[in-house]
Amino acid sequence: MEKFFFFAFVVIFAIWYLSYSATRLDRLHHRVETSWANLDGLLQRRAAVALEIAKSDIADPASALLLTAAAHQAREAQMQTRSQAESGLSGALGLLLNDGHLVDGFIEKDLLRELSELTDKIRVAIALHVDAVTRTQMVRKKPVFRIFRLAGSAPLPVTYEFEADVL
Amino acid sequence: MTLQKLRIGLVCPYGWDTPGGVQNHVRDLAEYLIAKGHYVSVLAPVIDESAIPDYVVSAGKPISIPYNGAVARVLFGPIAFSRVRNWISNGGFDLLHLHEPAIPSISLLACWAAEGPLVGTFHAAAKRQKAIFAIGPILEPVIEKLTARIAVSEAARSTLTEHLETDAVVVPNGIYADRYRDGELRAEWGGNTLGFIGRFEEPRKGLSVLLEALPIIARFAPDVRVLVAGPGDSKDVEDQIDPQLRHRFEFLGKITEKEKADFLSSVALYIAPNTGGESFGIILAEALAGGAAVVASDIPAFDSLLGNGEYGALFESENPQELAKVVIDLLRDSEKRKSLAQSGKAYAQRFDWDVVAEDIYSIYEMALVGGKGVTLSSENRAWNRFLGREGN
Repeated sequence: MEKFFFFAFVVIFAIWYLSYSATRLDRLHHRVETSWANLDGLLQRRAAVALEIAKSDIADPASALLLTAAAHQAREAQMQTRSQAESGLSGALGLLLNDGHLVDGFIEKDLLRELSELTDKIRVAIALHVDAVTRTQMVRKKPVFRIFRLAGSAPLPVTYEFEADVL
Repeated sequence: MTLQKLRIGLVCPYGWDTPGGVQNHVRDLAEYLIAKGHYVSVLAPVIDESAIPDYVVSAGKPISIPYNGAVARVLFGPIAFSRVRNWISNGGFDLLHLHEPAIPSISLLACWAAEGPLVGTFHAAAKRQKAIFAIGPILEPVIEKLTARIAVSEAARSTLTEHLETDAVVVPNGIYADRYRDGELRAEWGGNTLGFIGRFEEPRKGLSVLLEALPIIARFAPDVRVLVAGPGDSKDVEDQIDPQLRHRFEFLGKITEKEKADFLSSVALYIAPNTGGESFGIILAEALAGGAAVVASDIPAFDSLLGNGEYGALFESENPQELAKVVIDLLRDSEKRKSLAQSGKAYAQRFDWDVVAEDIYSIYEMALVGGKGVTLSSENRAWNRFLGREGN
């Protein structure tokens, strides 16, 4: 009889633990998705602002051309090439804005302010996303999660090589 | 800030009516957010329930435990846990902001109980402790639930990476910089004066280092005086002072905000000889905002707050000779002192609540993406959903 209770306890605990672990992993996957959605939204907005800058008086024709191309690439890039395209856009924006020429005009100043606010937010969003991804990868490597296939059919999240310091 | 009005729940792990940096931070943040039109409720342990502002909800009386070189007033246990659960399920919050969720107190309980957009702020900076590595695996799944993590300083961030292997975004603590901007010069605090603010009885505040340095300083600057402000019994400290130097000391007791502003703009140098246990150094940010030239020990928090010595002079922690050297050097060179104070004052504006709260708010916005409000996590368990059961 005692053996039976002990056995039942072990089984119940195992079921609880697996359910708990599955919830935990599900939460992590959710975090990866939302942090990506957030980052994706911010990057789209940045590309839009970059296009506006390209059209404004801030950019000379050559930089405008470069910027427009980079912004379009960033917008249309597939998942695999996304980070490369975004870094390209960061570079193009950097080239234009780092040479320190003064900008006047209300709209232009507004654009640049918006861009710098977005850049700050993107930096934070990257940190949040990268943390969620590494965390999920770490948890999924644990034996319990692998043996019982707790991840189900969810794809393993990929780290994006965003370089926060390029922004 | 956007026009969207949020329902925000803040959890403070330490006793609301005891002095402390985390409590001040939570209070200022809550009041700032309320002033912006958000609905804010703060859950905190409270000793005297009759004397709390109406945005604070008591979770019960705190228990005192020794932690990080001081006594921490925290709260846990089944009764506290059920109060936390009630507060979450009745609050209808869009987002919870938990302070110090790695401390055994109600923030950790709230993190355990809640599901949804959660933001955690880590204040403490501690040296590597073996105990934490044993606790790590227990904390891990709980801390993991946080949608976004904030550390108040690089020191707090590295503590977090070392102990819990997780990264955080650094957002500094906030001050109301404009309260200190226009302090008046008071003659009685002017001259060659060294200012010190804080609970001077606590050894980690380092007043004893300044006491040891004073004989050397007095030899080179005969008219030097030390002004000590802050709550505490000055008797014990006065007994430690060399009788020949006692007349140079003045204990002002607890001072008001206005007096603090005047104090900071009047003293020749503000001295922060803290020996450790400091994670951010809010008083240094205030001193800089008040236009004081700052001399501080080179503990990690101060070193990073003062930009490696760019905005205030540093000396080797617990080394009175070096403190004396730095002080004498600055007392003699008023130009250097002035330029240090000026650059410090401009730099301190980044700690203003207008900047800091904006940063915190933009992290809230990110945490809210895809969130549908805070619920109790037990409501979301598979079997509860299966049985169609509502959480209590």
